[in-house]
Amino acid sequence: MTDAEVVSLVNNSLIEEFELEESAMVDEAEIFTDLGLDSLDIVDMVVVLEGTLKIRIRDDAGLREIRTLGDIHRFVINKKRETDKAAESK
Amino acid sequence: MNLWVYPLLVAWTLFGLLFSPLFFLLWYGVTRWSRAKIARHFIWLYGRGWMLIVAPFVSFRRRGFGREYRRCTPCIYVINHLSFFDTYCMALQPVSDIAFAVRAWPFRRLFWYTAFMRMARYLDVEGSGFGASLEQAREIIDAGGSILFFPEGHRSRDGNLQRFYSGAFLLAVKLNLPLVPICITGTDKLLPPGTFRLRPARVKMQALPPVDPAEFSGEEAHLLMRRKVKEMMLIKLKEMKAED
Repeated sequence: MTDAEVVSLVNNSLIEEFELEESAMVDEAEIFTDLGLDSLDIVDMVVVLEGTLKIRIRDDAGLREIRTLGDIHRFVINKKRETDKAAESK
Repeated sequence: MNLWVYPLLVAWTLFGLLFSPLFFLLWYGVTRWSRAKIARHFIWLYGRGWMLIVAPFVSFRRRGFGREYRRCTPCIYVINHLSFFDTYCMALQPVSDIAFAVRAWPFRRLFWYTAFMRMARYLDVEGSGFGASLEQAREIIDAGGSILFFPEGHRSRDGNLQRFYSGAFLLAVKLNLPLVPICITGTDKLLPPGTFRLRPARVKMQALPPVDPAEFSGEEAHLLMRRKVKEMMLIKLKEMKAED
């Protein structure tokens, strides 16, 4: 899966789950202020992204650094690469 | 209408603020109810009083509050949000032992109600974390009370149902409680968001069949429940609006 495909999958999942406007899905969008998510939504987002991308991110300290949609994209892309690499090496 | 409702509402509020301590003691002496339950009942009575004040200009109709609804306590209620006066209309429900889940601002800005909200153990879902809200909700439920959420978080500006936040549904799943969706229409005509000018309206409230959290499983149970409840409410609201 390419990075662009991951970004698209992430955006579509968030749009569907949190009923966000497609026009709001820009890299610099702040997840709390611009996207209107709350702390519970972040927990839900983790569950949704784990299910969609078959990755495990809930215990990752990097989650706490996420502020914008672009941060989510970068975080998920890195995690997906790590997961895929680990799967290949098995 | 405005010259009638607002002065009477202020008078009714002042009457409540002045005399509620006395009535509180009397009520406790007779019923021995808990402080929180009495406060919730008084808030419900206050809402009933408001309904009487606006009655010359507003018709109220409720449906679905029969046996199935009454059997379903304690539970979680979720209702759509159209107007500031939606909270007052909750007195249309036949049950008074309901703690509201509210955001942080009513505790600060509606200072004349704050003591009552605290006494009634309303949940400050914005100020406290989910863990604290869960524990408080558990205590309310254990004492026989129910909890009401406006899952949209704030009033709809265009009358359409907005996105639902997860809190109510996660609580229902965690506490294994039935969730009763309630639909309300007409309060946006009575007092639309962004104005203080009241207008005559027909307010309708309809309780839908309870949704059992056991129908949903896994980590996404509350998300699936949220989706189902929103679909039910969308369909019912469309029907109710079509009747108008």
